[in-house]
Amino acid sequence: MANPGSRLLTGLTDDDAFRRGVQAWLANALPTDWRTRLQGATEEDVNRFQLWWLEERRKVGLATPHWPREWGGPGLPFSRQIIAYEEMARADAPELELMLISLFHLPATLFDAGTQEQRDLYLSGVRDGNDVWCQGFSEPGAGSDLASIRTTAARDADHYVVNGQKTWSSYAMYADYCLLLVRTDPHAARKHDGLSLFILDMRSPGVTVRPIRQITGEGEFAEIFLDDVIIPASNRIGAENRGWAIAQSTLSSERGLLLLSYAERVWQGYRKLSQVTRPSWLSDVGLRREFASFHAELLTVRLMIGRLLSMTEESEEGRLATLPVYIKLYWAPLLQRYTEFLVRAGGLVDQEWQPPVACTGHSSGVPALDFLKSFSWTISGGSNEIMRNIVAERFLGLPRA
Amino acid sequence: MSDADLDLLSESFADLLRAEWPIERAVAFASGDPAAISTNEGLQRSVIELGWPALTIAEEHGGLGLSRAAMARLYLALGAAVAPVPMLDTTLAAALIGDAGTPAQRERWLPLIASGSVRASISQPAMPALRCDGARMSGHARGLLDGGAANLFLLAAERRGRRGWVAIEASAAGVLVVPRRLVDPSRSAAEVVLDEVAVEDDAWILPPDPGRVADHLLRHAAIALAADALGAAESALASVIDYLKTRQQFGKVIGSFQALKHRLADHSTALVGARELLAYVAAMDDEDHHGLLNAISAKAQIARVAADVTRDCIQLFGGIGFTAEHPAHLYLKRAKLDEALFETGAGLLDRVADLLEAA
Repeated sequence: MANPGSRLLTGLTDDDAFRRGVQAWLANALPTDWRTRLQGATEEDVNRFQLWWLEERRKVGLATPHWPREWGGPGLPFSRQIIAYEEMARADAPELELMLISLFHLPATLFDAGTQEQRDLYLSGVRDGNDVWCQGFSEPGAGSDLASIRTTAARDADHYVVNGQKTWSSYAMYADYCLLLVRTDPHAARKHDGLSLFILDMRSPGVTVRPIRQITGEGEFAEIFLDDVIIPASNRIGAENRGWAIAQSTLSSERGLLLLSYAERVWQGYRKLSQVTRPSWLSDVGLRREFASFHAELLTVRLMIGRLLSMTEESEEGRLATLPVYIKLYWAPLLQRYTEFLVRAGGLVDQEWQPPVACTGHSSGVPALDFLKSFSWTISGGSNEIMRNIVAERFLGLPRA
Repeated sequence: MSDADLDLLSESFADLLRAEWPIERAVAFASGDPAAISTNEGLQRSVIELGWPALTIAEEHGGLGLSRAAMARLYLALGAAVAPVPMLDTTLAAALIGDAGTPAQRERWLPLIASGSVRASISQPAMPALRCDGARMSGHARGLLDGGAANLFLLAAERRGRRGWVAIEASAAGVLVVPRRLVDPSRSAAEVVLDEVAVEDDAWILPPDPGRVADHLLRHAAIALAADALGAAESALASVIDYLKTRQQFGKVIGSFQALKHRLADHSTALVGARELLAYVAAMDDEDHHGLLNAISAKAQIARVAADVTRDCIQLFGGIGFTAEHPAHLYLKRAKLDEALFETGAGLLDRVADLLEAA
């Protein structure tokens, strides 16, 4: 292209034209055989592939489709952000799993609580570069009870000295930076009040990362060991001991766009099974009925996500607090039951091990792996048991134990 | 109709039912209390005065011409109050006559249905069709919902190889209506025995595409039944949540026990999802390609969820929930009947699978 600017889709000012533009770009830019090439690929190759795709998206202005102008993003209206994610999922474009924190949680956090200097410094590394961010929240002793974090940061002149251990940190072994939640006041009356949030440069001396293999065979998680790690005070996000509230808003920052992609992929896969693939088990009356019963539930979760998105777009306050929790509680067990069903329906054939296909959300096409991976939804981001407590106590008004 | 208008409509339904059919009255009615039975007659009159039977009938035929979304709100309210108002089959009869009746049949029946002077009952889809090639008809039809209160029956029937429906008035010579109690005390059914009943030509509804007409009815019924079941489940869940906030055992409010909380959270989640699904399928255009698929899929799912939630509510209430004086059983029985009407899960799911493959 003579003028790279001419390829930007973000200049299209009409929803339909934008949708058609995104579709045309995807039809052209997306290699049809990427899943085959990626199946069983090394983690390095998978990462390279994701960075390549991020670059392709960048060429048309869609590296960060949901970023507003003040974050340095394209400033698309929300309807077009939805279209971008919807069309990428429908076209089965790769999910940029490696960049999850970089694309969603980091900017939301910095815009919620960061300084202008932090925003300038770190957002450009994602917008124009390939900076991978991870999240250092959970610890071996602080899972559902996240506020009981024991990793400490002790203030010493213009820096903090950090000691402790983090776990379940996705892609920490590839990360350049980490959003790190640590205890700065061990004596706070409420344990939530003694936490602060930091930007940790993963190349700092004293940082050791050990990958953890998951039940799917993939190595997405890692432990992070922090041994007298120095973090400059200028890397603290927000006020000291205010980290809990900031971390909470970080966790809820994705506003349904990410889930929209995942649910859309699963929905596409479901429709494809009955219309294109037509596996032999669909001729079994019992399995066929069970398969049919998922239609209403998969439709429901898409509708709930659609409602959340439209409420966000209209800035309706009403159920914005409750709906994301209900969506997680609807989606996660549904995904698990549906993927479990596919494994069971497939029988022995689907018990034969197949290598994973990265970047496919929960629709890799390998039923056993999609099923095993579904636990990432029922356990992470507040386990479903915690979510049930939230519904019962905060929404339904039942007393605490 | 906007969501705000639909909400207003819901309020008007709920207002009347709160005033005339509080849950204590539903319990008394179920136990055969004569006072409650006579109050129920008053409720029927109020419902007619407010035009509920006319809701979805076209304005040109004396109806209010409202949408299926409005109808869904009506059934949500009826289910929530477990109201013994014979409405579903009258709604469906109007839908059948409006969709496939001749202009003369529409002129004749729709204004009477809208005004409440005709109450109808219609064959369930699983029931075998009667056969009549001549001018007189004999046979019997079972499973006719609201049949005891009906003065018009629309029976699935076949004439000279053509499938359709035949309109039989309860008052016609040779018609015997045998009321049948149902497990759900808020509704009843009937069996109709026909003995050489005279059938005029204009009693027949014989559309060229009876399958499409049956699907149109099924779609209508699916949405009404899903709404009715969901209304019952929402009431049941709300009442058990209140109970768990006050009932004490072991020196504690039992709602503080996590084992119970988690069940309530799951039920609440399922019902929030069901609301979303119902609103969506009720608002779909007549012409929408996926209208039937989504409606019956939603009915199978929502009725299942409602039956599960109302079942567990009895367990959560404990001994008190097992007593007839307590309303919990009314919600369960309502939901179970809704689940069984217009085909149970298995039949519907087979159809969903067919439509999924065809779509």
